[in-house]
Amino acid sequence: MAANEQESKSLWHHAWDSLISDRTTVIAMSIVLIYSVVALLSTTGLIVSDWSKEVGPSYAPPSSEFLFGLDIFGRSVFAKTIKATEIAMSVGLVTGVLTVLIGVTLGSLAGYYGGKVDEVLVWFYTTVSSVPGIMLLISIAFIVGKGILAVYLSLGLTSWTGLFRLIRGEFIRHKDREYVQAATAIGGGDFRKIFKHILPNVFHIVIINFSLQFQFAIKSEVILSYLGLGVQGVPSWGTMINDAKLELARGNWWQLAAATAAMMVVVLAFNILGDSLRDALDPKLKGK
Amino acid sequence: MSLTSYVLRRLFYVIPVILGVCFLIFMIFNVVSPDPTISMLGKHATKAQVLELREALGLNEPLYVQYFDIVKSAFTFDFGRSWSTKQEIFEMIKQGAIPSMTITFPAFFLSFLISVSISLFVAFYRGTFLDKATVFVCVALMSISSLVYILVGQWFFAFKLGLFEISGYEEGFPEVVPYVLLPIIIIIILGVGPDVRFYRTVMLDEIYQDYVRTARSKGLSERKIMFKHVLKNAMVSIITYVVLRIPFLILGSLLIESFFGIPGLGGITLKAVNSSDFPVIKAMAVLSAIATIVFNVITDVLYVVVDPRVKLN
Amino acid sequence: MAEKILDVKDLVVEFRTDRGTITAVNGVNFEVYKGQTLGIVGESGSGKSVTALSIMRLIPNPPGRVAAGEILYRGQNVLDIPLDEMRSIRGNKIAMIFQEPMTSLNPVFTVGNQIEEVLELHQKELSKQQRAEKAIEMLKLVGIPSPEKRVEEYPHQLSGGMRQRVMIAMSLACEPDILIADEPTTALDVTIQAQILELMKKLQTEMGMGIIMITHDLGVVAETCDDVAVMYCGQIVEQSDVKTLFGNPKHPYTKGLIESIPSFDSTTGGAKGRLPTIEGMVPSLFELPAGCNFQNRCAFATEKCKGPHGEPKLESVSPGQMVRCFHPLS
Repeated sequence: MAANEQESKSLWHHAWDSLISDRTTVIAMSIVLIYSVVALLSTTGLIVSDWSKEVGPSYAPPSSEFLFGLDIFGRSVFAKTIKATEIAMSVGLVTGVLTVLIGVTLGSLAGYYGGKVDEVLVWFYTTVSSVPGIMLLISIAFIVGKGILAVYLSLGLTSWTGLFRLIRGEFIRHKDREYVQAATAIGGGDFRKIFKHILPNVFHIVIINFSLQFQFAIKSEVILSYLGLGVQGVPSWGTMINDAKLELARGNWWQLAAATAAMMVVVLAFNILGDSLRDALDPKLKGK
Repeated sequence: MSLTSYVLRRLFYVIPVILGVCFLIFMIFNVVSPDPTISMLGKHATKAQVLELREALGLNEPLYVQYFDIVKSAFTFDFGRSWSTKQEIFEMIKQGAIPSMTITFPAFFLSFLISVSISLFVAFYRGTFLDKATVFVCVALMSISSLVYILVGQWFFAFKLGLFEISGYEEGFPEVVPYVLLPIIIIIILGVGPDVRFYRTVMLDEIYQDYVRTARSKGLSERKIMFKHVLKNAMVSIITYVVLRIPFLILGSLLIESFFGIPGLGGITLKAVNSSDFPVIKAMAVLSAIATIVFNVITDVLYVVVDPRVKLN
Repeated sequence: MAEKILDVKDLVVEFRTDRGTITAVNGVNFEVYKGQTLGIVGESGSGKSVTALSIMRLIPNPPGRVAAGEILYRGQNVLDIPLDEMRSIRGNKIAMIFQEPMTSLNPVFTVGNQIEEVLELHQKELSKQQRAEKAIEMLKLVGIPSPEKRVEEYPHQLSGGMRQRVMIAMSLACEPDILIADEPTTALDVTIQAQILELMKKLQTEMGMGIIMITHDLGVVAETCDDVAVMYCGQIVEQSDVKTLFGNPKHPYTKGLIESIPSFDSTTGGAKGRLPTIEGMVPSLFELPAGCNFQNRCAFATEKCKGPHGEPKLESVSPGQMVRCFHPLS
């Protein structure tokens, strides 16, 4: 077991080394960090707390005074874009955590116990993944009602299937390995074996998945906003892009451009980070 | 085991999944959903009105009867009538399927051809700047919201440049073209990023296999190795990936159809969502789930047919 | 003396890695004669497989490249000829079989199809019908029962030994001058190993090709080879005919290898119950010592071996026997 721990430590260490030796990855990590800090600062009200203030005429185009222009109510698009980081990052974080909680719990139970437990959970997984994601998304948002909670729940409750499949597969592979049998021999209970022994060995999958889920959630928030199921009252990139439906025809492109650019940068960073994590932690996983 | 008995067994396993899907839909719309009559009648409806409407909509039936109705509809395709338009839902779906597929099928085939060609090309030039740049462009394309492609495409190419119709639909072959061209192009652009990335990875996985070294040692050219040995092996993964997309072709694209005013299934679904038209949403959910399940079976069977290594057991 | 068909001169192969450039093959010389078998023996990482691949010009480039030397096939340097000319040699004049019969055949083509493919490339005069017949004939030649049925089968339907027979059939379809066999039996069961080696010897007698047998197993060498080159850290450390090598090894490494073969020589162990092994580890190619590469594992190493006189040269110690050692064994 000690040797095993040693091994996994050096694996993480090695992965970290290879991550920070790649310039693109370092840039991606920095971007994620910057967005997180901005989101935190905006949540605590240290920056852009006055985003809703009218600072000039309606739809003033970008200028030296109004960096990204103003929206219909004369509010700064720049401030809104910054404020919206908060929603995006929280949607990514919460749905990422929900996905991990559900996917890992069900996946490890199914893979570890096998038999009837596995059959039932696989049935459940097949059922949920048979209904196209967008239908489920709409349905759940429908029940919960409009707002941020709907976004969290509908994305979190529908996105766990991919992780479930991967974790279940890994548990099936790992549960008969020597180190798990050794844990059985010294009297380790199921709970201990699942969480203490097997999970650390498959945790890289969770991390990779989390990174990809994060960007998927940010992108999905836009769609939910379009469907009228998104956040209300606070700016989000989704609502900003959505507003552009009416603005573009009048030539007001800046709100769309600002939200798209802000979103693209962070989603791209998460995509790159996800790929780098995959290359560093588990080259076998490529393309799956 | 013969292929027929494999298919039969696979189809048999479909039944519990369909029952599960029906149960999920039942739970969502018949049990936990807020009472639809409230939004239909408005806030000031009397109790008697609500009760009357509930009775008319069949919401006062025992729950097991309501569940059984959904299960029955999954097998008979009799979904009843729309609450808002009072139309036969199955008729609505039949009418909506054609415009949906007019857009999705050409987009599907073109994007398959384009993506496979690009990925063959970059896999051949793997490791070069061209390869890395293509992968980056793919990821960058994927990082932009699909809504932005639609908005900008519609505004710039249709509105500003007038290259296509902004929105709408007309039946008949040449008439339909200006309406569907832009939606098709947008679907292709949306698909190219993830598809090229996936196909490229599949091909690169194959390129480093031992049999490729054997092929080289036989004196085959790189081109022949790529197009014959690698492509045929990669096709096993690519086909499974592609076939699972087909259900979505039939369903149409929710966003594209509503933006471009295409009277397809996606548009119907969205309208139903906005008017709390539960039977239509339920019908679409049941249908799309069944399509997904059926194509899953088809994928599994294709897998057995295409890949000689897969044994039936 | 048999006709010389391959002459490898001062071959140097380098690989570029993240940690710097390594010399995987460093100044290797050997010759291959018609109808004879040359064994190249060494541990993994000794450069034996890289040597084999460079003859076929199959070194993945980047990261690898042939940095110096000549590979003369019938007097023509294959390193100089254009790639498409090289392709007409591969599989036709020089053929190769690999260690992993499980993965070396393409899983989605039938066995027959893969044999016919070589013929289609190099024997264009054959019709489709003739190619199909030849494929069956080749399977028969390598001892596969009911070949008419087997041609239609896919690799996964065959056992490991059968697959290696298919590889041999495929490689010999164009009656090459040289067959390079890279650990052809390593992945197989012991009984199957013997059958495959027997088959290769038989076919060599019939077809007269020269064989380069790459292996880590001196047992295989003893069974099949005429001449042997022992490789260590990218260099040949001893080279002679097989009889001399086993009877009178001059390099401590060769001797160590011979002694560690179980039950090869009952006088060295057996009775005492302990199989001798070579102590220590192969040095990393990134940090080769000054002087002799084998010094850290050698019982006879002296100050001289540690570098003051440079590294030992491959020198003739008796007619037909060369050794790279400051203190050759007597």
